[in-house]
Amino acid sequence: MKKIIFILLIGSFSLVAYIVPKQMFYTVPKSWPKPKYDFSKNPLTAEKIELGRALFYDPILSIDNTISCTSCHSQFTAFTHVDHPLSHGIEGKMGTRNSPALINLAWHSLYMWDGAINHLDMQSLAPITHPDEMGSTLEGVMRKLQKSPVYRKLFYKAYGDSTITGQYTLQALSQFMLTLVSSNSKYDSVMAKKAKFTLQEENGYKLFQKNCSSCHTEPLFSDYQFKNNGLPVDPLLKDYGRMKLTKNPQDSLKFKVPTLRNIEFSYPYMHDGRFKRLSDVLTHYAMGIQHSNTLAPELQKPVVLNSVEREELIAFLKTLTDKTFLFNPKFSYPKEVLTK
Amino acid sequence: MFSVSSLFSQTVTVNPVFGNSNLQLDHWYKLKSGDSVKIETLSFYISGIELLNNGTSVWKEKNSFHLIEASQSNAIKIPSGIKYDHIKFNLGIDSITNVSGAMGGDLDPTKGMYWTWQSGYINLKLEGKSNLCATKKNEFQFHLGGYQNPFNSLQTIELSVKENQRIKIVLDMEKVFAQLNLSKQNHVMMPCKEAMIAAKNIAKLFSVQ
Repeated sequence: MKKIIFILLIGSFSLVAYIVPKQMFYTVPKSWPKPKYDFSKNPLTAEKIELGRALFYDPILSIDNTISCTSCHSQFTAFTHVDHPLSHGIEGKMGTRNSPALINLAWHSLYMWDGAINHLDMQSLAPITHPDEMGSTLEGVMRKLQKSPVYRKLFYKAYGDSTITGQYTLQALSQFMLTLVSSNSKYDSVMAKKAKFTLQEENGYKLFQKNCSSCHTEPLFSDYQFKNNGLPVDPLLKDYGRMKLTKNPQDSLKFKVPTLRNIEFSYPYMHDGRFKRLSDVLTHYAMGIQHSNTLAPELQKPVVLNSVEREELIAFLKTLTDKTFLFNPKFSYPKEVLTK
Repeated sequence: MFSVSSLFSQTVTVNPVFGNSNLQLDHWYKLKSGDSVKIETLSFYISGIELLNNGTSVWKEKNSFHLIEASQSNAIKIPSGIKYDHIKFNLGIDSITNVSGAMGGDLDPTKGMYWTWQSGYINLKLEGKSNLCATKKNEFQFHLGGYQNPFNSLQTIELSVKENQRIKIVLDMEKVFAQLNLSKQNHVMMPCKEAMIAAKNIAKLFSVQ
């Protein structure tokens, strides 16, 4: 009998050993659409995610080793920055747009406020090389990484090759960013019937569905389309959004609809960060919309709410906060790797 | 048993030339107009190489992406023992590859042939100086690319070739400069109509020597 138990134990251990390497790094939350990212071309592994996480947190990507991705995308603010409307880079230089929150990136088909980037792998190239952001060249970054024993080891662990390439570097950054999935807010618990909205939140949800959800579509809280939401043009920035790229007047003043997940922590708002508070945003949709021929059809009429309704809508938006995302240790600074 | 080398014993070379001689970078050339020009960088992509016989495809290279750099010799292996009368290839990178994320080899973004602020490969890069350019240091810069309509600059080239020979394809830069109007246009740096026109004109200047 003892012998049989022993054999069973051995058997179950080997079963565990067999299952562990097949660990899932990515699961599509229930009832969510299929991700746009093609995982078959860049299959996630623990080592590649770890490498990507180290790169994400390491200022080695900037020309003077002062700025890392997290300088403008910090975890506790849903991977964006707060306190200043426009992002800044090396030597205190200012960019022209508000850094977007890095959430659920596998579901985007185009990146940046104007959709200039067509694939998550290529996204990192823009901040690495922009003179007002990290000011590097990809070739320069490769040289620095190749000289680093820490990175040679990390690349070897991830790719079985200590020769560092642009492809490996960009794919590893994607791997880490792809894991930044936020799907565990109170809203999600309510949808899964594991929690209940308060009456105020419930009323806010109804207002949201009536007034906001045609662009901020559930469950991702964006349709990821490009729309003109009626913001007056900033006379200094003169930013006409997607038109700069397509040279098509139909795209004038169009920017990507951002997700509202973790919106409570991802202030300031809009492509140029002009609004500090959610109440400023609601005021814009009530009385600030500028009409022009590219204005989103959904915003032809202002969204006017009374003061009680405004409180209700904001209470609902706060149910999109996901503390398990904002404080997930898997997404934080990899001190065990970078402080060696 | 055939060895791989005997099956692929023929080569295609693609090289930029200036008139009758091999192109030298950083060398001042005299144009027929009397103006002078110096090429500092010339790189372009050749992709989708295919051999045709009587209008029918008889061989296609797999993963066919080659970065041709003026400073390096470029030899591409093709199979022997196949009848063909034409070679077909693209000048540039197709739209599917352009939207497929980070690639390796000749397509690695560290090759300097990828735009960083707007996704897409630079199909052809030509940089240098000429007295024709009323610019800082008389510089000209052409970064020709764009994979999306209405600014898709990919070009397909088909050339007649004789069988069983070493195929030598050249791009005559003297003719390229006769086409480009450097005094009027010396900076094309993004997908646009001008890039498409320049790419179309340059594609016509490839020939078999």
